[in-house]
Amino acid sequence: MIKFLQKLQSPSSESPGAVWWAFIVIAAVILALLPQTLGLAQLLDLSVVLVLALLALSMSFLWGYIGILSFGQTAFFGAGGYVYAVAAMNFGTTTLPFFLGILLPMLLAAVLGYFMVYGKLSDIYFSVMTLVITLIMNKAMRATSGSQYVVGDVRLNGQNGIPGVPPLQVPWNPEITLFIDHVYYLAAALLILVYIGLRLLLTTPFGRVMIGIRENEQRIELLGYDARRYKLLAFILSGALAGLSGTMFAIWGNFVAPEMFGLDRAAEVIIWVIVGGKATLIGPIVGVGIIQYLTTWLGMQGVGQVTLVLGVILIVFVLAFKEGLVPTLGNLLLRLLGVRPGGQAEPGSDNEKGPDV
Amino acid sequence: MSDAADMPLIETRRLVKSFGGVHATDTVDFTLKKGELRCLIGPNGAGKSTFFKLLTGQIAPTSGKILFDGDDVTGLSSFEIARRGIGIKNQKPDVFDGLSARENLWLAAQFDTDKKTADQRVEKVVDELKLASFVHKLVGELAHGQRQWVEIGMVIARNPRLILLDEPSAGMDQEERIRTAELLKELNTNTTIVVVEHDMQFIKRIADIVTVFHRGKILREAPVDVVLRDPEVRNVYLGRTEVA
Ligand SMILES: Nc1ncnc2c1ncn2[C@@H]1O[C@H](COP(=O)(O)OP(=O)(O)O)[C@@H](O)[C@H]1O
Ligand SMILES: [Mg+2]
Repeated sequence: MIKFLQKLQSPSSESPGAVWWAFIVIAAVILALLPQTLGLAQLLDLSVVLVLALLALSMSFLWGYIGILSFGQTAFFGAGGYVYAVAAMNFGTTTLPFFLGILLPMLLAAVLGYFMVYGKLSDIYFSVMTLVITLIMNKAMRATSGSQYVVGDVRLNGQNGIPGVPPLQVPWNPEITLFIDHVYYLAAALLILVYIGLRLLLTTPFGRVMIGIRENEQRIELLGYDARRYKLLAFILSGALAGLSGTMFAIWGNFVAPEMFGLDRAAEVIIWVIVGGKATLIGPIVGVGIIQYLTTWLGMQGVGQVTLVLGVILIVFVLAFKEGLVPTLGNLLLRLLGVRPGGQAEPGSDNEKGPDV
Repeated sequence: MSDAADMPLIETRRLVKSFGGVHATDTVDFTLKKGELRCLIGPNGAGKSTFFKLLTGQIAPTSGKILFDGDDVTGLSSFEIARRGIGIKNQKPDVFDGLSARENLWLAAQFDTDKKTADQRVEKVVDELKLASFVHKLVGELAHGQRQWVEIGMVIARNPRLILLDEPSAGMDQEERIRTAELLKELNTNTTIVVVEHDMQFIKRIADIVTVFHRGKILREAPVDVVLRDPEVRNVYLGRTEVA
């Protein structure tokens, strides 16, 4: 138990050990068994948590690994959703659109990232730019309500969004489309794979250099690494992840709308990551779950000002639990067990520790 | 590129860096042959660190030229210069605080090689510098002297052709200083080195030629004994115990 918690806290870039893999297997088994006990409505709720967790990871990976704060992950999220919707409705098949929903946001990230990284934007301007891009895309999509805005056979519909986005077909048998429980399994599998992939990335030279950039960009350059290249590649990867999340979101809801690029969503992503803890990969996933269920619950209680409540939660976490829920609870448990948390951030430091779990 | 042994490895021509109106480096013509071990001395603010930063592309010169191994490297970014084979330890500790010492070394070692060779290089440096007792610790939690060793290790792990060390023995005790001096002499058998130092015992131990910086300019360049007896140098250092 102690060892496991220390593993959770460790900033190491060494290969994850047996404990970590056991954790993965247990999580996978639980996710696989849940449909046995949950009704379809609950499964639907859980699926969107898994889908949005991919979006959270796309941000926390960029922030936690390499130290770039991007408010604009929703730009790629929305792009992914719209690309899938428009392509699937035009083509009549869904396999190619699924991959386009990842690929085009990735390209978008490559182009935007190129200008921002090689334009030598400072970190803060980079963050602001990503936010501006999201807002522009939101505005642009809202402005497409006229009947002249069609892509192929599909009207973009402005504020109203595009309903009737086709469900995903089984690639080798287009007759069969994925139902609610299948989408759940797909989302769960994707999330686990992405999670494992991002964790293993840390053990590669590429991943280690990314951490090095977060820790000390100048030193990385003095060792001969072109930091900008790594930043661009990381940004492209995070764009692809956000695109995947958006594509899955469109499949999950059979619907896309400009809100996917909205300021509310962009803010939510930040809240998930901060509440869960950006220094870990599991934190943001937990953050999505908590906030998502809390939002639903508050809605059912008739609380009108959900956004306000979320804002207060954000402030509380920024001020009181700077590291986020997962690292804070982990350290607390370690302390209760009488162990000094390994690799814990010094008080007052910005917790720039490596994400492990 | 010629193989002539006395060909300069690094050379600056009328190198100037001004911050606002202050010439931190002022028309410096500096030449260093392959295989040399040179010490730079000079009072605080003389421009030694600025000079090192210019050589490694951390700052761009206001005017003048830098040649490395015969190639003009003026204005190249620091990663390009590092790739050509210049390694530097800056005056302020410049390490990856949130990573273990081993990971720090590993990042330095793996730059131009595969994972396995990098691992071997790391082990070699850990051995040579006797870092084993704290190599698994976060560098941010190490003592100042240990951090210095890690950073020196990072420079060595890259196998550079030119090593620049800005006050490497600061914060070290006497025994560690002697070890550092011995290490530098050993490294010098196949690497060219420039060291900024204040400790005269240390300098006497390792260098023959010393370059004295003063107000951004080279004031003297001579064998260590000559320099220490030079009245003008003594005047510049007036009140400094190291020279007295
Ligand atoms: N980034 C900077 N901005 C403005 N002035 C600087 C900067 N870096 C160094 N200087 C000035 O340049 C001069 C030389 O500094 P430095 O190279 O650090 O000297 P040394 O290393 O010999 O002590 C000093 O007067 C210092 O104040
Ligand atoms: Mg200095």
